[in-house]
Amino acid sequence: MGNKRFMQNAVTGWMVPHGEHADIVMSTRIRLARNLREFRFPIAFSDEQAEEVGEIVSEALLSEVEKGYSYTRMKELPQLDRQVLVEKHLISPQLADAEQFGSVFLSEDETISVMVNEEDHLRIQCIYPGLQLENAYQKANETDSALEKKLPYAFDEEFGYLTSCPSNTGTGMRASVMLHLPALTITRQINRIIPAVSRLGMVVRGSYGEGSEAPGNVYQVSNQLTLGKSENEILAELANIVSRLIAHERRSRELLLEKSRIALENRVFRSLGTISYARLLPSAEAARCLSDVRLGIDLELIEDVEMSILNELMIFMQSGFLQHYEGEELTSEELDISRAKLFRERLKNGPSKADEQTDRP
Amino acid sequence: MLCENCKERQASVILMQDTQNGPIERNLCEKCAFNLQTFSISPNQEPMSIQQFLSQWLSGSESLHQQTREVQKMPECPECGLTFHRFLEIGKFGCPTCYETFRERLPKVFGKLHNGNTNHKGKIPASFNEKMTIKKKIEELRTNMQEAIQEEQFEQAAVLRDEIKDWKQKLAAEIEEGGSAHGE
Repeated sequence: MGNKRFMQNAVTGWMVPHGEHADIVMSTRIRLARNLREFRFPIAFSDEQAEEVGEIVSEALLSEVEKGYSYTRMKELPQLDRQVLVEKHLISPQLADAEQFGSVFLSEDETISVMVNEEDHLRIQCIYPGLQLENAYQKANETDSALEKKLPYAFDEEFGYLTSCPSNTGTGMRASVMLHLPALTITRQINRIIPAVSRLGMVVRGSYGEGSEAPGNVYQVSNQLTLGKSENEILAELANIVSRLIAHERRSRELLLEKSRIALENRVFRSLGTISYARLLPSAEAARCLSDVRLGIDLELIEDVEMSILNELMIFMQSGFLQHYEGEELTSEELDISRAKLFRERLKNGPSKADEQTDRP
Repeated sequence: MLCENCKERQASVILMQDTQNGPIERNLCEKCAFNLQTFSISPNQEPMSIQQFLSQWLSGSESLHQQTREVQKMPECPECGLTFHRFLEIGKFGCPTCYETFRERLPKVFGKLHNGNTNHKGKIPASFNEKMTIKKKIEELRTNMQEAIQEEQFEQAAVLRDEIKDWKQKLAAEIEEGGSAHGE
């Protein structure tokens, strides 16, 4: 498989830096959990019911809502391809693990994905680059409204949208923003910020959700409450917290530059050297170096590397992508070799070629 | 790790079972854990944070034993067979009807999970909105009719009665079209 072709297929809408605060905010994601009234939730339904839910939803999506969706059943997709979809944040690990009856509908530009028979019958997801909470919600909401005309949703006047997990009941909405916060991490302020944010009804986690660390200093901030607040109130509160985090991160960056410029430059350029020339690149090291280089670009210490390459590499460095790229299963050492090779190729290709390949809407 | 029971799905629930030969640990997926009739949950397991949260918060000062005895009196969900006790253990509902079955208990659960909030305040599906509007209209007309009767304006009351009848037919048609609303 040619490098270029692989990259073209792999880059998805949200990876191309765009939208507000794109230097710090990597992506915005809205997820709506919905269920059909007449069926048990996936945790308890029978195989026949699972099949039926899949059919009802696909009929509604393919005939009524929008053409141009691709439809993939999990059981027909090789494990590695599922992993790639997870690494692109287009489906959840839970759907990938699943389930004979899980499936996903993907819009052509991959900004909308509808997961079927994950924890709920439907999970409508919209993912955009940068900070675009309102746009992403609007798009997810449009899809939801179009589907609701065809599908009898489980809804209750008192409790709202009925979901399998009580932590989603109500709006069924989880809004999350992925932030690159290296300066807050370096200065250890993040440890004080995380508990403060959770007191405001929001959660900060590593980029892969519950229980995950923050590789590459990427954090996910999302709403915890789904009852008692409207979607717009939740989005406004999240936007408020995110903008405060961004301001805080910017101040810390300035302070770092001011107080310890040489140490910072040293760290940034050593990391650039590592990812440009290493022959073995373990994922933790790759993530750390990418974070440093990204910071270096943001602070204009590094001027000849395109940010878009960095966003791609953060995704491509993962094991599913690398194995897909090499076209075979790899041991952990082979993964480290392959990762180093990919990084060298991408960084040598230089900005002009990268632009051609990633400049998609 | 794959679920020990179905060997298909990822295990996400650790079950501690007391046997004659001492406690054993079983790794199951949520679905198999749901279907298993009797189990207790290890308190230090990681993946079930909601479950932990629920059992910790709900037990409060009551002992778990008392709590268990109390909740076992709760009815079983007629649709999926989930008991309230098991709902607390697995932290998940089995079907939309569970909400109806456990309705009285749920404000307490949601209050703990959602910072004291127990009522939905967001989007309402369009079809539901129409039904809710019609229901409100009927209630309003009924109140007017009662007032008319008390004031002995029977002609007016008869007009209102017919109007209510019309709206009820519209509501029935709505329900027919979109299926009945949950809890109606």
